[in-house]
Amino acid sequence: MRELELFFGPQHPGMVGNFSITLKVEGDRILEAIPNPGYLHRGFEKLMELRNWIQNFPFVCRINVVEPDSMEAVYAMAVERLANIEVPERAKYIRTIVLELARLASHLFGAWAYANMLGFDTPAQWAMADRDHILDLFEELTGARVYHIYILPGGVRRDLPDGFEEKVMYFLHALAQKLPDYNETFFENRIFYERAKNIGKIKKEEAIEWAATGQVLRATGVKYDIRKVEPYLVYDKVDFDIPTREDGDAYSRILVIRDEMVESAKIIMQCIEKMPKGKVYERLPNPFKWKIPKGETYVRVESSRGELGLYMVSNGGNTPYRVHFRTPSFNHGLFILPRLLKGASIADVGNIMISLYVVAPEIDR
Amino acid sequence: MEKELKKRIKKIYKNTQVEFPEANRMVIKTKQENLLPILEFLKNEGFRQLKAISCVDWIEEKEFELIYHLSSLNSPLHIMVKVRIGREDAQIETIIKIFGNAQIYEREIHELFGVKFRGNPNLSPLFLENWQSIPPFRKDFDTREYVKKKFGEIPFVEEKK
Amino acid sequence: MRRNQNEKLKVQNSKKGSFLSPFKAIKFLFKKPRTFLFPFQRRDASKRYRGFHLNDWEKCTGCGNCADICPNQAITMVKIPEIKPKPGEKNERPQIDYGRCCFCGLCVDICPTGSLRLSRDYIHIDHATDSFVYLPKDEKTDKEHFFSEGEYSIFKASLSHRKKNFEGFVSDLEYTLFEPQRVPMKEVPPEERKLSFIEQILGYNREEARKEAERCLECKLCEEACPAHLKISDYIKAIYEGKEEESLRKIFEDNPLPSICGRICMAHCEKACSLGRRGEPLAIRWLKRYTADSIKDYKKALEEKPAPPTGKKVAVIGAGPSGLSVAYFLRLKGHSVVVFDSLDGGGGMMRIGPPLYRLPIEAIDKDVNYIASLGVEFRFNTTVGKDIMFEDILKEYDAVYLGIGTTISRSTKVKNSEKCIPALLFLRENKIGKGFKVGKEIVVIGGGNVAMDVARTALRLQHMQYPGEKVITKTVSLEDWDIMPARKDEIEDAKKEGVQFNPGWGPKEVVLDDKGNIKGLLCMKVKSVFDEKGRFAPTFYEDKEMFLEADMIIEAIGQVPDFSFIPEKLFKKLEFTERRKVKVDENGMTSIPKVFAGGDIVNINLDAITAIADAKVAAEGIHKFLTQKA
Repeated sequence: MRELELFFGPQHPGMVGNFSITLKVEGDRILEAIPNPGYLHRGFEKLMELRNWIQNFPFVCRINVVEPDSMEAVYAMAVERLANIEVPERAKYIRTIVLELARLASHLFGAWAYANMLGFDTPAQWAMADRDHILDLFEELTGARVYHIYILPGGVRRDLPDGFEEKVMYFLHALAQKLPDYNETFFENRIFYERAKNIGKIKKEEAIEWAATGQVLRATGVKYDIRKVEPYLVYDKVDFDIPTREDGDAYSRILVIRDEMVESAKIIMQCIEKMPKGKVYERLPNPFKWKIPKGETYVRVESSRGELGLYMVSNGGNTPYRVHFRTPSFNHGLFILPRLLKGASIADVGNIMISLYVVAPEIDR
Repeated sequence: MEKELKKRIKKIYKNTQVEFPEANRMVIKTKQENLLPILEFLKNEGFRQLKAISCVDWIEEKEFELIYHLSSLNSPLHIMVKVRIGREDAQIETIIKIFGNAQIYEREIHELFGVKFRGNPNLSPLFLENWQSIPPFRKDFDTREYVKKKFGEIPFVEEKK
Repeated sequence: MRRNQNEKLKVQNSKKGSFLSPFKAIKFLFKKPRTFLFPFQRRDASKRYRGFHLNDWEKCTGCGNCADICPNQAITMVKIPEIKPKPGEKNERPQIDYGRCCFCGLCVDICPTGSLRLSRDYIHIDHATDSFVYLPKDEKTDKEHFFSEGEYSIFKASLSHRKKNFEGFVSDLEYTLFEPQRVPMKEVPPEERKLSFIEQILGYNREEARKEAERCLECKLCEEACPAHLKISDYIKAIYEGKEEESLRKIFEDNPLPSICGRICMAHCEKACSLGRRGEPLAIRWLKRYTADSIKDYKKALEEKPAPPTGKKVAVIGAGPSGLSVAYFLRLKGHSVVVFDSLDGGGGMMRIGPPLYRLPIEAIDKDVNYIASLGVEFRFNTTVGKDIMFEDILKEYDAVYLGIGTTISRSTKVKNSEKCIPALLFLRENKIGKGFKVGKEIVVIGGGNVAMDVARTALRLQHMQYPGEKVITKTVSLEDWDIMPARKDEIEDAKKEGVQFNPGWGPKEVVLDDKGNIKGLLCMKVKSVFDEKGRFAPTFYEDKEMFLEADMIIEAIGQVPDFSFIPEKLFKKLEFTERRKVKVDENGMTSIPKVFAGGDIVNINLDAITAIADAKVAAEGIHKFLTQKA
C-alpha cells in the first residue's frame, strides 16, 4: 500500500473556518496528521499595545467569531480588576443574560456544523433558524447582530429596551417546545448513534494530562466548570447543574451540549426574575487621558468551548503593555486533534474535529 | 492550604519568592535553574494541568519574562511561575518531559519572540510564512514602518466631488 | 404553564432510537414556513441599529474628537471653504472611509454636541471603490439624497439614496464617554459674603484640580478662541500629571499674569469649550488660578534669565495688563525697560476696578513683583504730563509704548447729572483710598461688568455701614436681559446677594429736593438700543415713565481715554479708526514714529486678555524696530 499525502485544506465544506490539516494516509487509515494554522493571524496582541484601553474594546470581540461576548466579558473583567472599578448590580445581571444567550447561540451553531457534516440537513437548518431568532434579540438590545461591542469596562453600554424581557421568555418557551422534535430527528437517531459512538475516545487520565477543558473534559466524567469553581458575575446566586457523561467519545460530547442548552435556559429565566433596578453604567475617566496603575492579572471565564483566560500586564500608561489570550481551541486543535486522528479513517476527520469544538479564529488570534 | 504550600516551597528552593496578590492566585518568582524541579514538585502536589505559557518583553530591563500557568482539578488555586532570562541569545530548557502540551506553546513563543528552547524537537514556524524580519512581538518591531517598507506608500483615498 | 415547561426541560437519558425516526420530519411539509422572501417582504432594522453615519452640519463644530478616538483611523477632518465658522468653531467636517470603519459607535459616544449619529441604512453596492469614502450629512442640509417613505425604494438603496427620519444609534448624555459635570467649586454663601469684602471663590485643592483636568478632551477649540492663543491643553495636561511647574512654564510663554487672569479673565475659552455644548465647560480659569496659587515663588520655579543687554531703552506708559506684558517680553529679550504709572502700585485698571472680593491686592502684587525681579524699573506715583513731560520721554528713550487705558468715566449728561458720582472714583476711593460713605438707597446706572462691580460694592458698604437697617441697591440699564453686556455669572451672583435689577429703562432726569440733595431718578422705557446698522442709538417711549427713589446715584456707563498729556502738534498726527480707537499697523506702531500702542485704546473687546495679546504683537514689533535700526 502506498503512502499518500492529502491536504484537508482551508476551503472545505466540512472544515471549521480557515484551518488546514496535512494528512499522511495509507489506504483509508491515517498515519499522521499535521495541523497548519495561520490563515487568520491578524496579530491582535501586538495591535492592542498601540491603542488606548477604550479603543481596544471594538477589537476584542473579533477574536472569536462564533461567540464574541465571552471575549468582551473577559477583557472588561481584566481592566476592572487592574483599575479597581466596581460594576453596578443590574449590569451584572444583564451581562449574565447576554453571556448565556451567546452560549445558546454558539451551541446551536455547533449543532448545525455537526449535523451538516454528518448529512442531517433538516435539524441543521432548524438549529440555524433558531439561532437567527437569538441574533434578532441581540440586534434589539445592542444594535448589531454578530459583533455586539456591548460589554465595556464599567458596566454595559445601554439599558434594556422596553418589552425585551417578554421577548426573551417567549423565545425560550418556543425553543423548549421544539426540543422533542430535535430529539426525534437528531439526538435519538439510530444513524447518529452508529456514526458517533466510540469515535475519538479519550480516557479520563489522558484528558487531565492533556489539559482539556470544557465539554471535552466533562464528557469523560470530570465535573469541572469555572462557573462553579470561581464564580464571577451572578453565578453564585442562581442554581444550575453541570451535566456530565461517562464515555468520552463524540456521542457523549454532543449529548453534553444538548443538556447544557437546557441549563442555560434555566439560568436566563432565573436572572430575569431576580434582576434589580438601578443604573447600568459607571462612567469611566476620559479615554484620552486615563492611566491605569502598574500591575498584572489573570482572569478566566467559562466560554462555550472551554476555559478562556486573559493575562494582562499594565505599565502605568495609557495603553496595555502585554495582552495574552489563552483560548481553548489552541490546545484542542493543535495538541489533542493530531493524537486522536492517528489511526482513524478519513471519513471521521470532520467528525472528530467538529466534536472537539475547534474554531479557527481562536487558534490564530 | 496555600500557606502550607508556600512554606514548603520556600524551605526547599532558594532564591524563590511566593506572593498572593489576589484571591485564588499564587505567584512564584524563581531562577532558571530551579524551574524544572519546582514544576515537578507542583505536578506531584496535584497541579497537573498546564494551561498556558506567556512571554513578556521588558525591553528597558533587557530581559524576557516567561510565565507558566498551572491549575488543578481539586482546588480553585491558579499558580503562575515566573522566570526571567536575558534578552540577547535567549535560551531555556524545555519542559515537555513534565507537561506534554507545552510543545505547542513553546513553538509559538519561539516564532513570535525568538526564544530558543533546548530539547524541543519541533520549533518550525506556526503562523507566519517566509518571514524575514526580527520576531514580530518584540518591542523594537514597528508595525507601521514594516507596512510602509513592504507594501510601499499606499495613498489615502479622497472623495471625488 | 411554568411547571409544564420545566418538565420538558429536564435532562433526558440517551436512547438508541430507531431507523425510521427521520421520517417523522415529514409532518413539517404541511406547516407554514418561518422564513420570508427578501427583498419583496421587508424587515426593518431594529431601533438601535448601527449602520451608516448621519451628521448635522449646523450643530457640528469641527472639533475632531471623533477622528481622535476611532480605533481604525477611519475618520479624517476635511476643510470645507463654504462654511463660515463662528468664533470658537472650525470649518472642518468629518469624512469617513467605509473600507476601514467597523461600525463600533465610539465616535457617537464621544461627540460633544451629539450631531454625529448612526442610521438604520446598511446597503451600498457600487463598482467604483471611491464612492465608499463619504462625507456624512443629514436631511437638513442634503435634501437631494434623502427620501421620504413613499419615494424610497429598497432596490435603489445606497449611500446616495437614503431614507428620511431613519436614525438608529444616537448619543445619550448618561452613557457618554466624557463627563458633563464640573467639579463643584467651594465658595462663600451669599448671606455671609455680602457683609464684608472676603474673597468669594475659595479655589481648588490638588485632588479637585486633578479631577477637573482629567475631563479635558484635547480638541484645542479653546486655543483658537483665546485672543492670546495660550497653549491651554498642554498646561491642563501638566496639571493632570502633577507637574505644576511645567504648567506654569507653558502659561508664561504667552501670558505673564496668571494670578490676575485666573481671577478676572472673561474666559472666551470656556465659551468655546466642547464640553460646554451639552454640559458644563471645563473650568479653565480656575485651573490657571490653581497653578498660580500653588507655586509660592515664581522665580525658583521658572528660572528665567533675561538675554544679554542690548543697550536699548524702552519707556512704557501705564502699568496695566498690556504695559506689564510688554515690559516682561521686552526685558526677556535684553532691553532695559522703565514703566511709568500714576498709581502707587502696578496693575492699572486692575488695581482700582475689580473689588477686593474678586481680586485682592496680594494677587496683583505677586505678578508685578515677579516682573520687577527680572530687572524692570517701575516709577510709581509719576503722572506723565505733570511730573514728567511726554516730549522728554520721546527724546530720551528709543521706543515708547502707550498702555494708558480708559481712565475718565463717561456721564449721561441728563439734567442735574453733575450731582452723580462717577464709577471709577467710587471704586478707587473704596479699594485703595480713604473709603466712601454711602446712602441707604442707591441707584446704579449701567449694565456692564463695571456696573455690577459698583452695585455689589455698594451693597456691601451699605451692610457694613448700616448694620441691621433696611437698605437697597438698584440698577437701571438700557439693555434688557438678553443683551446685557455683563458676564452671566456676575449677574447671577448679584441677584443672589439682593441687588434689584430694572432692565430696559433709560435715565431722563435727576430729581432734587429743595435743599439740593438727590431725591430720586426719573426713567423712560426703552424702545430699542441699536439701530438697523448695529450702531448705538437708543430710542425711548416718551410717555412711559418710572420714578426710582434714591439718595445716591452712581453712573457706570463706560470710560474714555485721557490723551491730555500728548502735546497739540503731535496729537494732530495721531490717526484714529472710525470706531474712535487708535490706529496701529501689524507691528503695533501708531502713525507717530517710535510710538507703539495697545490695550483698551486699540481693541474693541476691552478686557485684560486682549490687552495682553496686543502687547505680545507690539513687543515683537518693538524688538524688530530696535534691532533693525542698529
